[in-house]
Amino acid sequence: MSTTSGQAVVAGRVRAPRPSAAERVTRAASKLTLPVILLLPAMTIIVGLVGYPLVKTIWLSFTDTRLGDLINGTSTWVGLENYKEVFSDEQLRTSLINTVVFGTACVVGTMLLGMAVALLLNQRLRFNWFFSLAVLLPWAVPALAASSIFKWLFDDRYGFVNWALVNLGFHHFQDYAWFADRNSAYVAMFVVVVWQSFPFIALSLLAGLQTVPKDTLDAASVDGANAVQRFWLVTLPLLRPILAVLVIFSTIWDFKIFDQVYVMAQGVPDRAADTAAVTGYREAFALGHFGTGAAIAVVLFCVLLAFSIAYVRLIGKEART
Amino acid sequence: MRWMARRGWMYLCALAISAFALFPIYYVVITSLKPRSEIYTRTPDLWPNHPQWHQYTRVLGEGHVGRALANSLIIAGATTVICVVVAGMAAYALARLEVPLRRTLLMLILTTQMFPLVVLIIPLFVLMRNADLIGTYQGLVIAYLAFTVPLAIWIMRGFIVTIPEELEHAAMIDGATRVGAMFRVILPIAAPGLVATATLSFIAAWNEFMLALTFMNEEEKKTLPLVLQQFVGRGDVDWGAVMATSVIYTLPVVIFFLLLRKRLMQGMTAGAVKG
Repeated sequence: MSTTSGQAVVAGRVRAPRPSAAERVTRAASKLTLPVILLLPAMTIIVGLVGYPLVKTIWLSFTDTRLGDLINGTSTWVGLENYKEVFSDEQLRTSLINTVVFGTACVVGTMLLGMAVALLLNQRLRFNWFFSLAVLLPWAVPALAASSIFKWLFDDRYGFVNWALVNLGFHHFQDYAWFADRNSAYVAMFVVVVWQSFPFIALSLLAGLQTVPKDTLDAASVDGANAVQRFWLVTLPLLRPILAVLVIFSTIWDFKIFDQVYVMAQGVPDRAADTAAVTGYREAFALGHFGTGAAIAVVLFCVLLAFSIAYVRLIGKEART
Repeated sequence: MRWMARRGWMYLCALAISAFALFPIYYVVITSLKPRSEIYTRTPDLWPNHPQWHQYTRVLGEGHVGRALANSLIIAGATTVICVVVAGMAAYALARLEVPLRRTLLMLILTTQMFPLVVLIIPLFVLMRNADLIGTYQGLVIAYLAFTVPLAIWIMRGFIVTIPEELEHAAMIDGATRVGAMFRVILPIAAPGLVATATLSFIAAWNEFMLALTFMNEEEKKTLPLVLQQFVGRGDVDWGAVMATSVIYTLPVVIFFLLLRKRLMQGMTAGAVKG
């Protein structure tokens, strides 16, 4: 309160050359003017480019819409037809299962490697600076570059991976075509996704590890707990909140993955390795089934929304304290 | 010996993980420096025997890569400038002013970050088409604001909240207006956070692929990820060109990361982990 009156009193001195009418308008303007002016552009963008499209996609998912309908706005309402198709059509259903299975595998892989790296970084080994720099770099590589890089490493004829495997005695991998089969394509994609996402998890967990009080660990050690017990009984319970946030965060990331799959799974027969985001996109923009594409997107959205709400709740709880 | 048993395996693990993290990057760089005959070989060398810049001059000169680089810079740059201004204003309001439904707004902003882009893309396509913005820089910049602005608001608000409010009060007692205090007191202190936010927005726009794939049908205006995808999608892939392009595409991001390591981590954790 004192600030407002102080502002009003002294503002006159600073803005003396200005006409007093303008000043009076500024002063008379309600408390809401400034927040509204400041928030208006951002809110316009969020409502216009996120809110409206979201509602429109949900509406489209209940219609039969081809490219012409989309542009002229002449979609026909078909009720739940698209959703029935999503869950009955072999390929569409597979893409949803792929998303859950592949996404979960990526989350588990990322979390395990991330935790291992965080624990190692926390040991403050010699050459720690080198290690922390090394594990930071993959995070900086854009998804499209990473996908290209790993497509080259997993190339059937000239790729490094096949060469190394053959030299290690696995002759089965001579000219092995990783991207011609669903499961082996997933192995390659799993490696890319984990490679790109473990740095963030590791560095976040490291920040968490550094907040674990040393006294507590020492006390446990005095009580006879070995390193493994200290980790399970002291460190892990203290890390639970941050672990929960990171698991949700990476689940959201890995379930909506698009770039890597779009580039790397395109050679798999029958597009059997596509995930929901890619299938939804292709259904709409490659095949012209905008209603079906929207329905897949909405299903994916609903799955992620559940995780998002859990995430927002956790963050909100933390923000309040 | 006991030291070896206790710490040795940790060094081994650290070494193995470093190799996993760095080798792909190293291998790309050396592949981009190899002549064709050393790339297409059944026994790849781990060292370029005849290093040469030929691939880079070739993709930047003949290919679309030079043009795509310029397009990416223009689009990501414009997105960043607009995003930082728009999001900065909103972040200040949400951090400092009395805004009705503030918590709800913040949670909504956070939730938008979780949306899969595929759920927005069809209506965005219609919007762009009706506004005649398909295949234009403006169209892609506008589309990119959809996901960079919420991210930037959230991160910048995190930075502004940490600035003691007393500084503004002091400035206002000394005769500054609210807006004056915002520009003269908060802006300089928030500058590092602003730089981090700008960098993260730039990287987000620089890396984006799906929207570019949908809206950039104009060959002259394609961005780097689109050119890379075209290269890799061909039947007979020119790996030398792909690797040189990947290096060109990745280098700016790596430089940003190395320069702003601490700040970016702070920004990312502010956006992702902490309120």
